[in-house]
Amino acid sequence: MHDWIRRRQGPDGDTVTLRRGRIYILPTGLGLAFGLMLVAMLLGSLNYANNLGLVLTFLLGALGVVAMHACHRNLEALVVKAAGTEPPFAGHAAVFRIALANRGRASRCDLEAVPDAGVGAEASIAGGAEATVEIRVPTRRRGSIVLNRLEIATRFPYGLFRAWAVVHPGLGCLVYPKPAANGPPPPLAPGRAAGGSARRGEDDFAGLKDYHPGDPPRHIAWKAYARAGELLVKEFSGDAEVIPMFDLADAPGADLEARLSVLARWIVDASARGMTFGLRLPGEEIPPEPGESQRRRCLTAIARFEAPAADVA
Amino acid sequence: MSPERTENFRRLAWTMAGLAAALGPHLLRMQSWVSAFVIGACAWRLLAERRGWRMPPAFLRGLIAAGVTVGVVIGYSTITGLDGGTALLALMSALKLLETKTARDHTVLIFIGWFLCLAAFLYAQDVATAAWVLSTVWLLAAALFRVSRRGMDGLASGPFRTTGGMLLKAAPVALVLFFFFPRVEGSFWGAPSSERALTGLTDEMSPGDISDLTQNDVVAFRVRFAGNPPPPPLRYWRGPVFSQFDGYTWSRGDVQSFRRPAVAHAGAPVDYTVTLEPTGQNMLFALDMVESWTPGLAGQAWDFGLRTRRAVNAVLQYDARSYPRYRAGDELALSLRNASLRLPPGRNPRSAEFARQLRERTGSDAAYVQEVLEHFREQEFYYTLTPPGLARDSVDDFLFNTRQGFCGHFASAFTSLMRAAGIPARVVAGYQGGDWNPLGGYLIVRQSHAHAWSEVWLPGVGWRRVDPTAAVAPERVERGLEASFAGSEFLPGALARNSPLLWQARMFWDNLNARWNDGVVQFDRATQDALLSDLGFDDPDWRAFAAALGIGLGLAVAGLVAWLALEFRPRRADPATIAYRRFTGRLARRGIENGVGEAPRDFAKRVRRLRPDLGTPALAITETYLRLRYGPAPAAADLRLLRALVTRFRP
Repeated sequence: MHDWIRRRQGPDGDTVTLRRGRIYILPTGLGLAFGLMLVAMLLGSLNYANNLGLVLTFLLGALGVVAMHACHRNLEALVVKAAGTEPPFAGHAAVFRIALANRGRASRCDLEAVPDAGVGAEASIAGGAEATVEIRVPTRRRGSIVLNRLEIATRFPYGLFRAWAVVHPGLGCLVYPKPAANGPPPPLAPGRAAGGSARRGEDDFAGLKDYHPGDPPRHIAWKAYARAGELLVKEFSGDAEVIPMFDLADAPGADLEARLSVLARWIVDASARGMTFGLRLPGEEIPPEPGESQRRRCLTAIARFEAPAADVA
Repeated sequence: MSPERTENFRRLAWTMAGLAAALGPHLLRMQSWVSAFVIGACAWRLLAERRGWRMPPAFLRGLIAAGVTVGVVIGYSTITGLDGGTALLALMSALKLLETKTARDHTVLIFIGWFLCLAAFLYAQDVATAAWVLSTVWLLAAALFRVSRRGMDGLASGPFRTTGGMLLKAAPVALVLFFFFPRVEGSFWGAPSSERALTGLTDEMSPGDISDLTQNDVVAFRVRFAGNPPPPPLRYWRGPVFSQFDGYTWSRGDVQSFRRPAVAHAGAPVDYTVTLEPTGQNMLFALDMVESWTPGLAGQAWDFGLRTRRAVNAVLQYDARSYPRYRAGDELALSLRNASLRLPPGRNPRSAEFARQLRERTGSDAAYVQEVLEHFREQEFYYTLTPPGLARDSVDDFLFNTRQGFCGHFASAFTSLMRAAGIPARVVAGYQGGDWNPLGGYLIVRQSHAHAWSEVWLPGVGWRRVDPTAAVAPERVERGLEASFAGSEFLPGALARNSPLLWQARMFWDNLNARWNDGVVQFDRATQDALLSDLGFDDPDWRAFAAALGIGLGLAVAGLVAWLALEFRPRRADPATIAYRRFTGRLARRGIENGVGEAPRDFAKRVRRLRPDLGTPALAITETYLRLRYGPAPAAADLRLLRALVTRFRP
């Protein structure tokens, strides 16, 4: 069934408009019960030749027909766009962002985005508006995970019918190695290999400079901030602080995954302390930098390093 | 209350509102313990939800369920009949309320509500019932909408309004189905049983029965005449005929069959169509003397009454032809003569003695009849709606003691006096008169027009109608009940009769109901065939139905799809946005796509980074666009500038 739909629809780009041909609709269990009720009411009304009973039955039946069309229409011409991902550590949930755009005037209510595995999301979108939903898909190992198949579904109104469309976003999300639970401390000896370089330490106060993202929070001059409302950072001069260069070769572990986990732990810890650090992998070297983007760059490098084939969600 | 409990309470409130509306028409009809249980369960559940009480455990609910089922079996003696079934349905909905938690539970309740709506139509199909039930259907559907929502976000309009829109869209499909869905003749598993107690004439009459009936102003039947209606004194609608008397109560007696005497009709006939409200009885009403009627519907008994095989439990329409002038039964068979003379032995001795003496003083039977009528007229007899109760020997008590009575008393006493004097006689019950509805051009005969008179057999004349009430209160027959009691006693509908405006409103309402009966309630296979013939299907068969149904449904559904498409039609963007989209479109063709959630200014900066040569025009376009969209007063000059900039923008 899934393969048939995939073959029928062909590959999807980043933006998919749900056309009539790719929307499927079936009655729900509730809808089937409703149908049974209508049959019983029809037989009863015919048996007693009760015309108002027939009016009642036909009105409810027609309401069912309207509900079916409204349910289908609730999806038709909806625009589904891939809107980015949020890489997790292995074992946590990858977040896929899907933007749903309603280009019509009427609002579309109770839309559901349902992945094959993981936790879907719901949204209602006013006419002409957009909503971004987050789909959480569990991950097992580092590397990447691909959101291959996603159902956009709705039971609105009444829950008598379920209309759905299948999109194949082919959206990939990186999965960082899970940081080792209690890895050994990183080797910080200066001069080890070509990594460490001297930087200003924090022995003597040398002056103030503008704050940049990535500066350690404990260096922020809070008194100056209170006075001037400007974020400043204290600079120190003194003995050189060692700038670590995390090297896969230094990371202990039974196998590559274990050692990458240790690297991940070092990167996460160093980044949490606001340290400046670099990363060295065989064939790739990231020079030391402070800050959030450095953390992301390094984690991405170890996620990609000799990565296994992408998992499919 | 926590948000979750508030939400649960609101859902429950919707479902219960719908259910209450569906139960409404049944509450007064069901046995009082059932109604009390249902109301109690609703009240308890609402309180429980408010106060956070726990639902009763499963075994207790099972116990209650078993208990009420036994109660229904005992109280209604069956659970398959309409009354028992409705009571059971109501009780089950009340029980379901005691465990309602999930959306599925709510749905079950809503479905039960719809079944209760159907049951209401099996009891009554008048305009008021239809209006109430269809509103209830709306409310229940709104409750289903509310319960099935995954959370109210304020985007859809309220449940009632949304559902109203849906029902409006559903109406054409429903109408096509109503007109062209083929009706079947007969029934699959038998018509509803006649266990219902309806107001109206029955096969028995005790003193006071008819005066009770006249307190009731509901419609018994409506009559549309082909020509002019007969004058009021000829509007005698024959119903049950009573030949057996036990001294207090008249009845049809053992359904003993005699040969029906021959009837000779004379003069001009009256043709008319009667729309009879359900009676629960096996009789039809017709003007005296009926000659023919809708074939196969009923047979004429030996007492000239029209009897149906099945009880009339739904609105029934029939045609009839009557001749106000007739001679009935020149010959009287001995067995029928004896049955028409029989009086209970030892009862009403004084009146029997009075009759014998009076008969001896008069020369002939016909003269005796006049003499008895004279007696009623000249002695102090009072025609009253509220006669005192009578003793066991009711005729003696009435003739010599109370002397106050309604038509039933006079007919009973008169017939007794006839029989005591050896003249074959019987009591005929039915309706006399009717209200003319000038708006609809038809006659309304109400329960308050119920009447009783006598029929005596005279040699050479046959069975002849004698109305003793007319001797005491001739205006009752000439001008109706209200004329006989003008200002003295309270009559049903008196308020309406005395106020022209109310009277008109009442006639309007009745006319609406009559048209409703003709057009909707009585819409049957014959009407369908006529409709299809009008549409050009000659001699309609199943193919005609299929074609009409197919074409009609196709059109209705196409209309529905178009309506939905109109609601979901794309928003037309404002001119500034159109121009801006042209700008982003051109960049997209060069591989620079506007990212999802990327603000226009960020996008322009990205463009400048990627293509420094386009930076300046991109920023200018973006700033002009933002000024137009979000600026305090969008200027026409800005729009012209934006369009010019975009036109010249060639990446």
